[in-house]
Amino acid sequence: MPDWGRNTLELMVQELQHPVRLDDSFDRRVMVRVRRIYAERRHRGIIRWLGAAASISRRPAWAAALAAGVVAVVSFGVTRERKPAIPAGQAIPVQFVLVAPEAHSVAVVGDFNNWGLGDTALVAENHNGVWSVSAPVHTGVHRYAFLVNGKQWVADPTAPRAADDDFGQPSSALVVEASTQ
Amino acid sequence: MESSDAALVARVLHGEVNAYSALVSRYRDKYARYAVHMLGNREDAEEALQDAFTRAYRSLARCEDPERFGAWLFRILVNRCRTSGARRVRRGQTFVHDETALLNASEEHPAEQTMWREEIERALGELSADQREAFLLKYVEELGYDEMAEITGVGVSALKMRVMRACDRLRVLLREVHSA
Repeated sequence: MPDWGRNTLELMVQELQHPVRLDDSFDRRVMVRVRRIYAERRHRGIIRWLGAAASISRRPAWAAALAAGVVAVVSFGVTRERKPAIPAGQAIPVQFVLVAPEAHSVAVVGDFNNWGLGDTALVAENHNGVWSVSAPVHTGVHRYAFLVNGKQWVADPTAPRAADDDFGQPSSALVVEASTQ
Repeated sequence: MESSDAALVARVLHGEVNAYSALVSRYRDKYARYAVHMLGNREDAEEALQDAFTRAYRSLARCEDPERFGAWLFRILVNRCRTSGARRVRRGQTFVHDETALLNASEEHPAEQTMWREEIERALGELSADQREAFLLKYVEELGYDEMAEITGVGVSALKMRVMRACDRLRVLLREVHSA
């Protein structure tokens, strides 16, 4: 039992600071999960790029957006222009646009491209300060952000912010819905 | 020479998935202690820690400062423990002591040590989750209030209040046990 003449809380803290040791089976269990994620990503990446959709027309409002400063626009080209029936689970081409005249590079990272892990970031093209890239995104709810100059994480200022998801970085919500037409 | 966190993160991001195991080994014991005390049992703690490592891997590209991977991982773990704790409350489970830790604690005077350990775990379990979190971060993990605020998203004043209330409550609980 503790020496009650000393500060009880100090004794309690000393006891709680004893290390808790996990065995190597913990590492193995974590790495099984990690390798599974890695394998799924590789598989998804191959499928995604085999079926990459055609690019879509650019928005005419770029000039106005430039004047407004940093503005991003996400458009769903196929659904607006051709309105095909798109079953759930299928990829739809989505255009991401960020107006950032001062940027040297802009990429799109999100859960649909593994947050750019292993060089999967979608590198945007620069059109006089308007950066855009089109990519197929599967139907569903996604999180994404713009990676400016390779290090600055910028949420899409025109899209709803995604709820905090532990990682301390702002991100935006993207809903890609299946067409019922 | 041991690789830095940033070097390991870079290797993982370039597709060397096995490099992640070095990060797991580096942080598992350090953070297991927090999870075990926060959740009160080893099973939930290991699950929360596994979940934190997995989520960190999924979002590794979002780790803004890879040199501080450990701090970033800890923030994820604190959130996982909150979620796990809330789920347990919804399931109606109570805070239970960590039997394995109790066994590990039996050193010089096994019975007395185990009893003391049980009292501590029971007292911790009597705190609200917010107070327990603040107390553990401040005194067991020895973080500063600014770090705690960054990790928890709670203001410094509120954290100080939680720590103070936790200490007051623990003194009362441990005194009650001693005088019983």
